[in-house]
Amino acid sequence: MSKIVVLGAGISGHVAASHLRRKLSKEHEVLVVSPNSNYQWIPSNIWVGVGRMPYKKILFPLEPLYIRKGIGFKQAMVKTFHPEGDEKEARPYVTIEYVDANKKGQQEKVTYNYLINATGPKLNFEATEGLVPGTNKTYSVCTYTHADHAWQALSALINDMKQGKKAKILIGTGHAKATCQGAAFEYILNVEHELRRNKVRDMADITWISNEFELGDFGMDGMLLSYGSLTMKSKEMVEMIFEDRDIKWILGAGVHKIEDGMAHYENLEGETKTVTYDFAMLIPSFSGHGFKAFNKHHEDITDKLFKGFMIVDANYTPKPYEEWSVQDWPETYQNPSYKNIFAPGIAFAPPHSISKPRKSKNGTEIFPSPPRTGMPSGITAKLVADNIIDSIKTGRESLAHKGSMGNMGAACIASAGFGLTQGSGISITTYPIVPDYNKYPKTQGRQLGKTFGEIGLAGHWLKLALHYAFIYKAKMNPFWWLIPE
Amino acid sequence: MIQRISTYQRFKMMNPIIQFFRFIYLSLKVLTIVAGGHGGTRKVHQDSHK
Repeated sequence: MSKIVVLGAGISGHVAASHLRRKLSKEHEVLVVSPNSNYQWIPSNIWVGVGRMPYKKILFPLEPLYIRKGIGFKQAMVKTFHPEGDEKEARPYVTIEYVDANKKGQQEKVTYNYLINATGPKLNFEATEGLVPGTNKTYSVCTYTHADHAWQALSALINDMKQGKKAKILIGTGHAKATCQGAAFEYILNVEHELRRNKVRDMADITWISNEFELGDFGMDGMLLSYGSLTMKSKEMVEMIFEDRDIKWILGAGVHKIEDGMAHYENLEGETKTVTYDFAMLIPSFSGHGFKAFNKHHEDITDKLFKGFMIVDANYTPKPYEEWSVQDWPETYQNPSYKNIFAPGIAFAPPHSISKPRKSKNGTEIFPSPPRTGMPSGITAKLVADNIIDSIKTGRESLAHKGSMGNMGAACIASAGFGLTQGSGISITTYPIVPDYNKYPKTQGRQLGKTFGEIGLAGHWLKLALHYAFIYKAKMNPFWWLIPE
Repeated sequence: MIQRISTYQRFKMMNPIIQFFRFIYLSLKVLTIVAGGHGGTRKVHQDSHK
């Protein structure tokens, strides 16, 4: 009998737990530890943030589902890792602290045979002075509560605009090394769409602010893509969209301080500038959770497990951008020191960024961190689960399932406005996610055809269809496993 | 020079009939790319150097 503990119940953790439970017999225990009582389909937060979807439609409670499916659940947060056990406990374990009302504050040791760390990122708002959702006219759409709060503020601003108030709206990244530009990109287009729908578009100046060097970088160094019969850069595609929607842009901006209605940033020229606004949605930087790890003698071994995020089978040797290789990226997400620990999704430490690193003239690093959200989270979680299942069934370590982001496609169906007949979406796929310049030297490291972009109403329908399909899948309804990650 | 979305392009982007067929096409294309498999990179490249 094996016990698999999954830390986190986001896209990655929930996918891993679901597949483990489906493929392993009941003699093996699957236990999920998460501080969140609900599963949330994060990509739809965008629609919550513009008031087009109630937040209750993007979440469901985890515990009833897990009870029904035979998955253990503890509403708690992990505190420390003990991969060798200790003097009293021979088995590896993690310590957890309950957050649910009944056991709040209680700590417990949870032993395991296999550990999947799917804790995702810490939303590191404190890395930017004054960036606190709901204060200084700044909001976030990173969680459903943040998104709901953002909509309340935006709704009030729309009402003010209907009364004749001119407004400035600022959307983008709130830190020099933030990631998830795609979410901010979706939000700015949805906000613009809602202003038009409310007939107040002419009352607002909308500005995109980002740590990207060029538009369309998205933390993936941009891409060359097929667009209809054309081949164009993602930069050109996003410029075309922003031009069409009358959205201004500020690039190479490392936002470092927020005051009431003011964002202070440094640009790549080393200049410090300020932009004012009446409503802002700025994505914070992501960081690891600051977990500590100890060996059986209670000596600190955090650096064997963590490098901000969790260390996996990546090549972390520091080297210049020109020497980066697609082979640097992990394939199995297994910790090299403790082979029964894995970290899929956002929880693994990337070997380096995907976008070219850039510094301002003052030496400040201003460039996007690599994205690992959404589809890669699900795919890497499933392959980790499959390797654990094979290892349990065969009785020896199996790492047959591999999935490097350098050999994996991803789709980003970016909403550009909600509405069954008036909505719009920008569908972008990229293959591979991490460019492979050896394999595709003439097309910026990616395969044209499999890397394409399309704009239109169909993109909105597709995003809506994916919303329902993935919530169906997450609820583990009949044949859920036929829907790919 | 930034490209502009022409009136004809906009018509195609928002026409429900055209977009219905684009939806079918996009769904299949995305499914093919995403469900088309994934794998490692290291072994492939080791082999290619042999």
